[in-house]
Amino acid sequence: MKRRLVGFTGSLVLAAGAAAAVWRSVPPDQPSARDLAAQLVCPACQGETVAQSASPMAAAMRATIAQQLATGHTGQQIRQYFVDRYGAGILADPAAGGLGAVLWVVPVLVLAALAVLVWRSRRRPADPGPLAATGPARTWRRAWDVLAVAVVALVAAVAVASPREPGGPAAATAADPTVITLAVGRSLEEQGRYAEAADVYRDALDQQPDDRLRRRLAFALLRAGRLVEAEAVAARVLDDDPGDPDALLLLGLAQRASGSPKAAATLRRFLRQAPDHPAAAEVRRLLGDR
Amino acid sequence: MRRRLAALIAATAVVAALAVLLGYGIRTGQPDAARAAGPVTELRSAPAPPLTGTTLDGRSFDLTRLRGQVVLVNVWASWCDPCRQELPALAAAQRRWSGRGFAVVALGVRDTTESARRLLTDLGVTGLTTVTDPHGTTAVAWGTRGVPETFLVDRQGVVRVWARGAVDTAWLQRRVTPLLAS
Repeated sequence: MKRRLVGFTGSLVLAAGAAAAVWRSVPPDQPSARDLAAQLVCPACQGETVAQSASPMAAAMRATIAQQLATGHTGQQIRQYFVDRYGAGILADPAAGGLGAVLWVVPVLVLAALAVLVWRSRRRPADPGPLAATGPARTWRRAWDVLAVAVVALVAAVAVASPREPGGPAAATAADPTVITLAVGRSLEEQGRYAEAADVYRDALDQQPDDRLRRRLAFALLRAGRLVEAEAVAARVLDDDPGDPDALLLLGLAQRASGSPKAAATLRRFLRQAPDHPAAAEVRRLLGDR
Repeated sequence: MRRRLAALIAATAVVAALAVLLGYGIRTGQPDAARAAGPVTELRSAPAPPLTGTTLDGRSFDLTRLRGQVVLVNVWASWCDPCRQELPALAAAQRRWSGRGFAVVALGVRDTTESARRLLTDLGVTGLTTVTDPHGTTAVAWGTRGVPETFLVDRQGVVRVWARGAVDTAWLQRRVTPLLAS
């Protein structure tokens, strides 16, 4: 009895400690712009959050989040701002109260039911003996097994029959927001809309620093005639990788277009790094090397 | 025995009902061609959010100054194809009803001044008050989900109609005239 009491008290202390740790580990309501964007569903997309989407409306929502954080709004106030305008469906996680509570409660109930079933099945072998599993009992058990298999088959059928996102197998690569941004930017570049492409890249860079985006941004800025910005972005790529041929080429071309005396040296560095680059012949021609 | 049979039948019925429901959900979840034909329109009754900013010609704008008029707020962008279709219809509606206290305010979302101007020139659209919203934050304050979207604000400053998708002359006739009469 005494040992049981000690064990019970010990468990209680441990449980209280765990509860306190969980309570203390809950972050205060000062999330980052990215956290908040990840909690909102993009209203112009299918199955993407505001953090993941490259759509202009998602970018507008990220700008709103940043603006509100800068003016001292809390995470809860910002979430409420979006709920007031777009409804509770804008939240990526179901709401804690109301109908949303069902989505939280059902999994807990299912887990509890499973736990009870497991507990009962572990106790059962002690009771009746092996004869129970013969004759009609076995037939019933088979019938339930068939029903369980039907449920599994139903779920599998739904998984197979559900409409796929356009692009099918490409969906895995499309899940990378940078890939989407690059595709959107390239499409704008193909239309000659370099300033807009630059805006798209810059916006994505605010969310996710990536040198692939910086290279495209530097190119778009160069084509848009924004040479100082193009130089700065290319130089930033070179900070990460001083031998990056594309960044050297973009920096050199931007310097050349702005009349900088450093252009020739930068372009020669590019040629040393990548003598077989598709642009190498043109750069040699520009430098008067042939 | 009977109870077991009843339980088995009930469980089978539940699984079958679930299958039918899922099948129905998958079918109705497919895009509906008929639905895509016109703008999705919803009646609303909520005070118009603030709309202030700078117009394409550099003047300051505040929606509250238009109180007493029926105002159509159209959210658009030069990179949006359906917007090209509806802008001429909006400009024509403004010319037609401006004498009856009607104004169109075009809110250019996440666009450069240059691109917005170029599109309006290409379309030959003149006389529309176009407020710039380079970051899109004003559009978000209005609860915009995409472009184009149209809001009709009555003379008391209450949003009465919301539409998603390009509106046309027939839609404008049907939705604007009742507000002009009130």
